[in-house]
Amino acid sequence: MIEERRILYEHLDVPDINTFDVFRQYDGYTRFEKAITEYQPDDIAKMVMDSGLKGRGGAGFSTGLKWSFVPRDIKPCYLCCNADESEPGTFSNRYVLEKNPHLLIEGILICCYAMGIETTYVYIRGEFTLGKQMLDAAIKEAYEQGYLGKDIRGTGLNIDIYSHPGAGAYICGEETGLIESLEGKRGQPRNKPPFPAVEGVFGKPTVVQNVETLCNLPFIVGNGVEWYTQMGPTYADTRSDPPTPDPNTGTKLYCISGDVNEPGVYELDLGLTCSELIEVAGGLRGEEVKAVIPGGSSAPILTHYELDTRLDFTSLTLAKSMLGSGGIIVMNETRNIVDCLLNIMKFYAHESCGQCTPCRWGTPWVRDIVQRIADGNGRKSTMTRPKFGVAENGRWGDTGETEDIYEDLDLLESVANNIANVDTMTWNTICVFGIAVSWPAVSYMRKFRPEFEAAIREGKLVTLPVAEATVPPEENYAYQQRFVPKEFADL
Amino acid sequence: MAFVKLNDLEIEVEDGTNVVEAARQHGIEVPHYCYHPGLTRPANCRMCLVEPHVFFPPAGAIVPDRQLATGCTTVLRTAPPDRKLDGKYDFIVRTDSERVKKARADILEFLLVHHPLDCPVCDQAGECDLQDYSHRHGYDKSRYLEIKNVPPKKDLGPDVLLYATRCVVCTRCIRFADEVSGTGELGLVHRGSHDEIDIPRSHEGVPLQVLDNKLAGNVVDICPVGALISKDFLFKSRPWFLEKANSVCSGCSVGCNITVEYKADGVYRLKPRFHEDINQHWMCDDGRLGYHYVNSDDRLQLPLKRVDDELTPTHWADALAVITENVSEIEAEDIVVIGSAQGTNEDNYILQQLAHDMLKTTQLGLFGQLPGEEHKFPQFTIEADKNPNAAGARTILGSGNGNVVLEGEALWEKVSDAKVVYLVSGGPERPLEDAEKAALERVDFLIVQDVLPSEVTQLADVVLPGTTFAEKDGTFTNSTGWVQRIRKTIDPPGEARVDWEIMQQLAKQLGGEMNYHFAGEIALAIAENVPGYADATHQKIGDMGIKLSL
Repeated sequence: MIEERRILYEHLDVPDINTFDVFRQYDGYTRFEKAITEYQPDDIAKMVMDSGLKGRGGAGFSTGLKWSFVPRDIKPCYLCCNADESEPGTFSNRYVLEKNPHLLIEGILICCYAMGIETTYVYIRGEFTLGKQMLDAAIKEAYEQGYLGKDIRGTGLNIDIYSHPGAGAYICGEETGLIESLEGKRGQPRNKPPFPAVEGVFGKPTVVQNVETLCNLPFIVGNGVEWYTQMGPTYADTRSDPPTPDPNTGTKLYCISGDVNEPGVYELDLGLTCSELIEVAGGLRGEEVKAVIPGGSSAPILTHYELDTRLDFTSLTLAKSMLGSGGIIVMNETRNIVDCLLNIMKFYAHESCGQCTPCRWGTPWVRDIVQRIADGNGRKSTMTRPKFGVAENGRWGDTGETEDIYEDLDLLESVANNIANVDTMTWNTICVFGIAVSWPAVSYMRKFRPEFEAAIREGKLVTLPVAEATVPPEENYAYQQRFVPKEFADL
Repeated sequence: MAFVKLNDLEIEVEDGTNVVEAARQHGIEVPHYCYHPGLTRPANCRMCLVEPHVFFPPAGAIVPDRQLATGCTTVLRTAPPDRKLDGKYDFIVRTDSERVKKARADILEFLLVHHPLDCPVCDQAGECDLQDYSHRHGYDKSRYLEIKNVPPKKDLGPDVLLYATRCVVCTRCIRFADEVSGTGELGLVHRGSHDEIDIPRSHEGVPLQVLDNKLAGNVVDICPVGALISKDFLFKSRPWFLEKANSVCSGCSVGCNITVEYKADGVYRLKPRFHEDINQHWMCDDGRLGYHYVNSDDRLQLPLKRVDDELTPTHWADALAVITENVSEIEAEDIVVIGSAQGTNEDNYILQQLAHDMLKTTQLGLFGQLPGEEHKFPQFTIEADKNPNAAGARTILGSGNGNVVLEGEALWEKVSDAKVVYLVSGGPERPLEDAEKAALERVDFLIVQDVLPSEVTQLADVVLPGTTFAEKDGTFTNSTGWVQRIRKTIDPPGEARVDWEIMQQLAKQLGGEMNYHFAGEIALAIAENVPGYADATHQKIGDMGIKLSL
């Protein structure tokens, strides 16, 4: 039986942990004190780099590397804490904000010390009223106790934290959208480059970090890099010679929802498989797993053939999906994938910021196509065409058979790929919202094509048995390049 | 200079040029909507996607970059020696690869999903970027079966209408209002596919602010589609029926470069023309809408003479005879000749010669529109002097030997003592101030040359019908010393004649030997005789003007 490894959430259930006194009893702020007394700022940055900590917000970009891009000679430099947690299926930051806000403040302090930052903005999702209340109270206490403000603990450090509520747009969770919103403008992502590390809030270098990433910092400083890197796998990146280590270290707050018996947030080492995770969450509710969304609603879906995929940044990337924010949604055999896709597409069509052309007008179009299929008005041609698949010679090509033409499925795939091409991973949009739309659209459609075809054929939503609804890996070119990464130690 | 490989061309461009401009300089079109050289670059239309090439170490070769880049934000700069591609190129970019072509077509497909097919009734048809690019780069049919968005048509301000269905949300108009006029009346409302350009409104839809600044008309010009429409031009003409001539605005002393668009029956609209040092891409609405007097039905079409205290139409020979009769007996000290700041340099030169050589007077004056208000915008200024050629007229009139050019009170004092006054006006109707009126009333014989009946012509003994800026060739000198050309577009109404021709005819009548055939000939004489104007011949001035070296 796999046990939770609670680090960030260790003291989450302690009564009144949100107050300074109780937090202090549980080593609160000692890690920050250790940082400022024992280490130079550059040491901390190096520790973070060595720890292999990857940003927990979604992209999984190495935090240490991100910090190294920030020019040290341009001041002021800002820290933006991204607490605009709005990915459907994700709810881990909320608990930190509501129950243990001092942990976040400590993480912010360490980051500010390492990067020489004096001003931090915490951009909180507008709906998190309790979270903002708790954080504001904690910030007030920290000021009173001398951990924030001028000349902190007599070290000469000046650090201020401002909390800023969002106004309810999903896109403001994108780092440059967040910065625009923070500056008081319409929440629309910026063109990159320049990246926020060079030109962010008010045109100054800015570090944008997720709540969970910052909460990892006290433990990296407190317990050391060696302790931290023991958790989670380190893969070998064989694209370079010799292979370089690709760390997926630490724990992750997995938000498990959907058809499991005990949904909730579970803190586990990175690198567990899908099926292990379902076990941790009290097992499946229902007969069998039909599909798993591994990283929030924008991640490509996994089928029951892929339940052995390890849920970490590298493995999921190689499985052509992503860990994203760790919002895992499990679906059992009663779920209709067309319906699920419709639900997700409605969300994205509503949340597209409308700044750039493909996303503004492509997203509602995709939604409308899925809606049409779900309504039973999907179009099927009376003609047939050669079927592509694994041919006799074992390669992908013309199989010699014919297949029906489902015009709307072709259209759906084409329109989604015109927003962002999931095969080449290129997008014509300004930000990655485009790929967040076409990923689910194309992956659901390719992996559960029989169910889409049935909906068009029958003129209504038809939930097929799992085995029938899923395209086997060998017949689906979305799987073609999939391989299992090797751990660095095994080489 | 950056050495760039653009498609198969090897070109040199200045550092800081973007791909769209570099391509345009070499005759390659990179389609774009949101990019405008006078505004910031949000790169939101995604139409100008191009394919940069990068060095890919594992392959040891230069390959197309993984992502396409927007041409408007891809800036070409000299690369450090160790970063040169192929040992010599600072940048390699293709605008014609299959990937780029597909991306363009795909973006156009998205742009057209909600765009109505109302080209037959759309004012922009014929000069519409969406039409042109769809034709050149788009697919030939739509795959969109769903219902189109139909946002309502809106009245944004005194001269601007928004046909929101046609909008492609490029935000050029919003950026113009923010950056150039600095008035910020426009913004986006709603989100996603419901994005609409709008002015601030209360919840009930009542406008809280309207697009009513003096530069508002420019948003119509920069709108790449038919979304923002000028009420002044709405349904007047198809743009392809209009002829165009490069000219200069006569609304104030800035001298904005414009294109006069006209048909045989009149001027239809004025549009700004790019000039780096004067007006960039813009012009003000006073100038833009100030052409209506040219088409006025009230225009003076025949010479008038006073018979029994009534102005009566007559013919040119009679009018000139009356003038000759009244002028020849008068002493030179009693004659005042007043040139017009609305007239061209050529008009004023002939007038100066007429005064100096034939009437033997050195008492000249300058008459023009009353000064207005100065308006300063972040990137544009409308000057208080409402005459296009005050600077030029002043210099030219004063160029004769011993000439004195009087203005304001001094002029009217002199006029009140004079027996004969020859006053050239022109331009839109100008009200007279009391002192001016009093002075002119005391003149025995007043000759007025104007284009519209006005308070001045009411006082005149002889009225000569002249021409507006749209009906003659010539040059204007603006307040910063730029000499620029205006061009004849339409014919003068009725018997009206080009101003300098009238003056020349009068000079001949008085026994002079002037014999100019066209304005350019006069400009040559000006170049010879007026200090500072040595280079100001029509050939050298061309379309972009020259700056006087004073």
